[in-house]
Amino acid sequence: MNQLIRNTALATVLFLGAGAAHAEWPADRPIEFIVAYAPGGGTDVMNRTLAPYIEKELGAKITILNRPGASGEIAYTAMTQARPDGYTVSSLNTPGYLTMQMDRKVRFDPKKLCLVARVVEDPGSFIVQASSKFNTLKDLVAYAKENPGAVTVGTTGLGTDEHLAMLQLEKAAGIDLTAVTFNGANEARTALLGGHVDTIGINVGEFVGNDHSAFKNLGQFAEERASIAPDLPTAKEQGLEVLMSSERGIAMSCDVPEEIRNRFSSAVEKALENPEFQAKAKQMSLAISYRSAEAWNKELPVRAERLGAIWKLAKEQK
Amino acid sequence: MASPNKAGGTGDRPDLFTAALFIGFGALGLWAGRDLTLGTASAMGPGYLPRIVSWLLIIIGAAIGGFGAVRARVDIARPKLWPLAIILAAVIGFAFIAEFFGFVAASVWLLLVGSLADRDSRLREVILLTAGLTTFGALVFIIGLGVQMPIWPF
Amino acid sequence: MNFVDLLMLGFSEALTPTNLGFCLLGALLGTLIGVLPGIGPTATIAVLLPITFYLPPLAGLIMLAGIYYGAQYGGSTTAILVNLPGEASSVVTAVDGYKMAQQGRAGSALAVAALGSFFAGTVATFGIAIAGPTLSSFALSFGPAEYVSLMLFGLLAATILARGPVLKAIGMILLGLLLGMVGIDASSGEERLTFGAVELFDGIDFVVIAIGLFGFAEIIENLENVEARGILVSKLSRLWPTREDFRRAWPAVLRGTGVGTLLGVLPGGGATLASFCAYSVEKKVSKRPQEFGDGAVEGVAGPEAANNAGAQSSFIPLLTLGIPSNNMMAMMLSAFIIHGITPGPTVLATQPEIFWGLVASMWIGNLMLVVINLPLIGVWVKLLTVPYRLLYPAILLFCCVGVYSINNRIFDVALAAGFGLLGYAFRKAKCEPGPLLLGFVLGPLLETNIRRALTISHGNPSVFVERPISLVLLIATAGVLLLMILPSFRKTREEAFQEEEA
Repeated sequence: MNQLIRNTALATVLFLGAGAAHAEWPADRPIEFIVAYAPGGGTDVMNRTLAPYIEKELGAKITILNRPGASGEIAYTAMTQARPDGYTVSSLNTPGYLTMQMDRKVRFDPKKLCLVARVVEDPGSFIVQASSKFNTLKDLVAYAKENPGAVTVGTTGLGTDEHLAMLQLEKAAGIDLTAVTFNGANEARTALLGGHVDTIGINVGEFVGNDHSAFKNLGQFAEERASIAPDLPTAKEQGLEVLMSSERGIAMSCDVPEEIRNRFSSAVEKALENPEFQAKAKQMSLAISYRSAEAWNKELPVRAERLGAIWKLAKEQK
Repeated sequence: MASPNKAGGTGDRPDLFTAALFIGFGALGLWAGRDLTLGTASAMGPGYLPRIVSWLLIIIGAAIGGFGAVRARVDIARPKLWPLAIILAAVIGFAFIAEFFGFVAASVWLLLVGSLADRDSRLREVILLTAGLTTFGALVFIIGLGVQMPIWPF
Repeated sequence: MNFVDLLMLGFSEALTPTNLGFCLLGALLGTLIGVLPGIGPTATIAVLLPITFYLPPLAGLIMLAGIYYGAQYGGSTTAILVNLPGEASSVVTAVDGYKMAQQGRAGSALAVAALGSFFAGTVATFGIAIAGPTLSSFALSFGPAEYVSLMLFGLLAATILARGPVLKAIGMILLGLLLGMVGIDASSGEERLTFGAVELFDGIDFVVIAIGLFGFAEIIENLENVEARGILVSKLSRLWPTREDFRRAWPAVLRGTGVGTLLGVLPGGGATLASFCAYSVEKKVSKRPQEFGDGAVEGVAGPEAANNAGAQSSFIPLLTLGIPSNNMMAMMLSAFIIHGITPGPTVLATQPEIFWGLVASMWIGNLMLVVINLPLIGVWVKLLTVPYRLLYPAILLFCCVGVYSINNRIFDVALAAGFGLLGYAFRKAKCEPGPLLLGFVLGPLLETNIRRALTISHGNPSVFVERPISLVLLIATAGVLLLMILPSFRKTREEAFQEEEA
């Protein structure tokens, strides 16, 4: 006991400036990194690729644990209920994280979930077959104005980013589109290739990263052109107010000391700057866009409000 | 399966039991889906097909029950509760122990309790088997194939 | 370059020592996880994905592909030996394969399965090489309306699958459809039949139901009937199929290969449907339909060939269009992308060595699997002589770990125990669980495609008859239905049922 007091005192004195009362974190056991999606998916592969570089920066060991299900709710619940000692982190994706809170009573307390670092921001976009008569979003809007409801849009479900982007486009251009639901982007892409739908929503990263010789992209839904698609005009440039992107990042429980969260955040930042990682990210067409814990936490409510407004639209329409 | 005892009277018991199961699940489906939006045939809501399927299940169940009731009597093979209860307890116990105490404890529980289901089991064999399979499982599943389960409680 | 040059290029790539080594490693690993019930190739490949970073691209892809088709080989082993289908495609194999094992013909069943699979794998591999692009345009012509008609046909096939009264089979299919609806409905976002459990939002996993209904229920029943399991041990089986077995199996293998290659190309449920359809085809063309479900060798040969051919040809949409047709292929796509290769028409033209190397390695891998598996049959059959009191705890453990590993949660294990209880009840009620599984697999596909088709047509149901492929499938379905209702056919069904009871 005496020893403990002495050590604590010593540690306090030594690290007073940095305020590091948790001198042993993160070295005394592996950090459990909960990935909210199934192994092999985009989020999983990205985090498994990134984890070794975070390990290097932190000098810690990270083990990946997949807890797929309910668009991430199962993982978020597990993470917020874990001991808040900084040894449990979880992946976090928007807009799923935000829309689930609008749609249903979630099993975790969103107030207990703190964002730590954003890794990727991938804008949405609409693509058509290469032989399509549409070349830009404007063409599509013009056609849809004359033929209300005739344009079919493949999405991956109600309240997904593609669906919300479609609703925004309908409102911005005053048109009427028909949403067709698919189980995942690959099914939607197959249907587009077969000509069963006119256009589908897809993230720019998924578009650039796959063989897209059979498709044309009509425009991305970002404020500014994404780094992985500098030649693709935004909807805004085409005079249409559509903003939709999906973010992938990392979160921790808010009960974890802020200092640990910030250290993890800056480790992620340094890992993202590692040229070796950047080369891999480029191969995988990841639209890397880091936000620190502070910056991301500030941005999220704005995004939530915008989504909330669109969401209300969706509910009214139904 | 043991051959059915043919006693006098009517009522095909396995069919009556089937009818009860089907009608029960149909009713459960109707109850669980009572709040879902129905929609119309051309714009189906989420509740449309579940309700149709549940009703069909009830109708089929009733038909099986109706035919079964008038057929000659066939008895259900007598259930033995011991293996049923033991196996289910072993498996559910495995689930909870694995969550809190890791693979080794859960595997030992599963194999020791599971072995009680068979009266032929011999203590010495069971212990050897438990030790062997637990080691094999930890090595092959968790270390080798990367199943995400802790080995030890800590 | 012409076809022969390209194939030679492929073989010269696949035959380098490194690539051969990784092909063997993949095939072995695949066999291992295939034999262990519940542990699927998807999880294993996911764990190995980051490791392939450090391998040359082709070697990594060859290994992952090897795991996939190796698991298909291994999966049928457990289905035949202990009545435990690890995935949808081996459900059918279990029906007659397990009966053969009980009659002391396990070796015969395993050998037919292995040889049939090899033949089908070879044909399908050459199918990819010769007709890949043509087959993929066939796959693309399948829109929502075509899927609806195909699924209806598949569901009808499920009633053929079952022995015993048709009404019970239909009831089991309906129950499967109902189970398939559990989860969040994608097009409305509403929770359905989840009883508020967040673990059920994504629906119930196939493995949970299969392990419960087949694995756990089988163990409980075997423990109940001490006399019944004695048979398994007493009859030591011959290891090799009889001449008669061969004579009956090879046409079935041919038909199964055709069905599998064609249906495997279809995204979604294609490969699963293949083995079910092959079984129905066999039962329909056979002169002895009453033997099906009671250890008919065609009932193993046809579906096994179809399942392996389907597994191979499901690579076609990925390699030629860049579109994965199932979860496994999505994983393969990740593996490609990790290496900066984006499969599709461009790669076919710019990096032919990748495409042809992979295709050639698949054939080599299939050959390796036969060489590995045939001698192993002796070992597997010996396994059946292990006393049941030592065998069942091991099966129990493998099942539990397998179910847990799907989503890493105990909820699924408890749910599987629940399905074990249900499976036991169904056995007491003399209901076959096979149709339930087929309904469960096809139900969600049927529902989403009906809704999709009607959304696209703005509620006009005539789409189903206006599109030629859909129309043909609907006519075929109606034809089979008519056959079933015709009195003469009903008589044979009843005869079969009587015989079975006698």
